[in-house]
Amino acid sequence: MSDRKSTDVDSPVLEVTLATEAITTQRRMSDAQASTGFGARLRHDLQFIRGRGALEISVVLVVLLTGYITASLISPTGFAFLNPNNLSGVISQAVPVLAILGLAAGILMIAGEFDLSLGANITLSAIVFIKTAESVNLWVAILAGILCGVVVALVNGAIVVYTRIPSFIATLGMSFFWMGAGIFINGTTPATLTTSRDETMVFLFAQDFGFFRSQLIWLIIIGVLAWLFLHRHRRGNHLFAVGGNPAAAEAISINPKRVKLMAFAIFGGLVGFASILIAVRTSSMQPGGSATEDFTLFAIAAAVVGGTSLWGGRGTVLGIIVGAALIELIRNGLLLAKAPGFYITLFVGVTIVIAAIFNKLMEGKAR
Amino acid sequence: MSALFALKGVTKKYGPNTVLNDVSFEIGKGEVVGLLGDNGAGKSTLVKIMSGVVQADQGDFTWDDAPVEKMNRDITERLGVETIFQDSALVPFMTITRNIFMGREITNKLGFMKMKEMDSITAEVLDSVVTIEGIKSPKQLVASLSGGQAQAVAIARAVHFKRSLLILDEPTSALAVRATEALLNYLTHLKSDGVSSVLVTHNLHHAYQVCDRHIVMNHGRKILDVRREDTTVEELTAAVVEGAEGIRRYREGRF
Ligand SMILES: Nc1ncnc2c1ncn2[C@@H]1O[C@H](COP(=O)(O)OP(=O)(O)OP(=O)(O)O)[C@@H](O)[C@H]1O
Ligand SMILES: [Mg+2]
Repeated sequence: MSDRKSTDVDSPVLEVTLATEAITTQRRMSDAQASTGFGARLRHDLQFIRGRGALEISVVLVVLLTGYITASLISPTGFAFLNPNNLSGVISQAVPVLAILGLAAGILMIAGEFDLSLGANITLSAIVFIKTAESVNLWVAILAGILCGVVVALVNGAIVVYTRIPSFIATLGMSFFWMGAGIFINGTTPATLTTSRDETMVFLFAQDFGFFRSQLIWLIIIGVLAWLFLHRHRRGNHLFAVGGNPAAAEAISINPKRVKLMAFAIFGGLVGFASILIAVRTSSMQPGGSATEDFTLFAIAAAVVGGTSLWGGRGTVLGIIVGAALIELIRNGLLLAKAPGFYITLFVGVTIVIAAIFNKLMEGKAR
Repeated sequence: MSALFALKGVTKKYGPNTVLNDVSFEIGKGEVVGLLGDNGAGKSTLVKIMSGVVQADQGDFTWDDAPVEKMNRDITERLGVETIFQDSALVPFMTITRNIFMGREITNKLGFMKMKEMDSITAEVLDSVVTIEGIKSPKQLVASLSGGQAQAVAIARAVHFKRSLLILDEPTSALAVRATEALLNYLTHLKSDGVSSVLVTHNLHHAYQVCDRHIVMNHGRKILDVRREDTTVEELTAAVVEGAEGIRRYREGRF
């Protein structure tokens, strides 16, 4: 790398420009860099997060949480938010699963693609996991479930990348195919975890630790890995480049096809993993069922609410996780307040549209 | 002066349009070559072919007298060619640093980026070559920059990574006077490092000021290829505006 560094400080050019009178009035960026104190840096970094919307949505989350906790303290039975059954049984199972799926969808959206067969992928991967766990063992099953997610997503990705069909259409079509594939390998009866759902399996994927469950630990692990990858690894940088301006990426020999396929593979791996969490929690999976279909839009919603751009090139790990938490909290709050079921759908729908409008405004502001 | 890069018989069609027609020329080591011509003459297409992002339909290329089998971006990057494209090829919602190091990040062995190091190099390069006002931090999003500031980022990237040939496609179109002067100065100084450059510009005075040789394109053909001492700004103007006819008339008028 160092052999490419070409402009050191005492290059002739600088002497020429320094000789001009005007340069003396110019603010040099490297000086400014060195002289910024901690406060200025913090303000700058906040600005940086703000520009991506993660700060605003975190504030919304905190406000909502405060409201919930207050309501629950005032009326522990009327609004049982702080009840351990709710915290451990609902929140800490639902939020991590949606957050992991949101990260999957978000990573793909940053690369500029969608996968609407996410729900079908969950069904198929969960069935593969259950059947393998029942017939072989847990460890092979974990591998098989994740691998199934990756293969499904890579097939979708290959279709999108090599035919240049918009991913909306290609993956919508493929979602019927994968739903059918689930029925093909399992028949129409549900695949069920029986003897294989032993202590180890439960400990790994659904253990109750009082106020939280195993899923939350997985979310933290996956969140940290995703953050390191997206925001600190060169491959993550390429993902943003390809989603933000494919032509620019190509002009400096980043191969957009390869990067997009990588995004599909990561998406698939995360979906495969989430489907294991779902399978262990519910112990069974209905092939061809619509139970998992909601996840598709909810995952995209979590990403959008968390500040991920629908046009690619923008998004943060923190934002997506907060977005998923926000959606699940709203859903949970409506349940606790005993709102009729359709309220939940309605409310989540409105949240998504508001979030999308908000994102659009943020993008306008940054320009 | 021995040739660094030679193109022979380059032809490029877009559908029925012949955008480049049998174009041949050489770029000497340490030479600054002006590539001139009217709008749509084929300059940018030629630039893209030389940078390996667009493939010619026909044509042979030699680098340091060795034939280049297939031109693509991987090859040209290995040869040390860097290009500032006319449509600056930046990603708006990435920071300046990430744009400059996009695809060529400084990383540790595991591929994790060394952000601090990249930020400080970015600040240094932006300060030293293009001297542009108003960029506050390498962490600024390119979307938040003015047109000229964004152009400065594209220039900084090419300047930082170039090793043997720097191609600039209208690099000063959005720059103010001082930044333009600084860049032109820089090109004349590149020569002493043995780095060649190709400058595409519509400002013939700029071209005349810094280029050792001028190539004028007209409707996809090369109509003029002269050294600076053998031409004048007037002749270049006539060639760009009126084509081959203009050159003939200019020479008849002068002699
Ligand atoms: N991708 C493309 N598809 C079809 N035609 C193209 C494409 N790129 C360029 N052209 C055509 O090729 C011709 C030459 O374009 P080019 O961009 O090389 O011109 P130029 O000399 O750089 O002009 P300018 O000075 O305006 O930048 C134009 O007529 C243009 O319409
Ligand atoms: Mg052009």
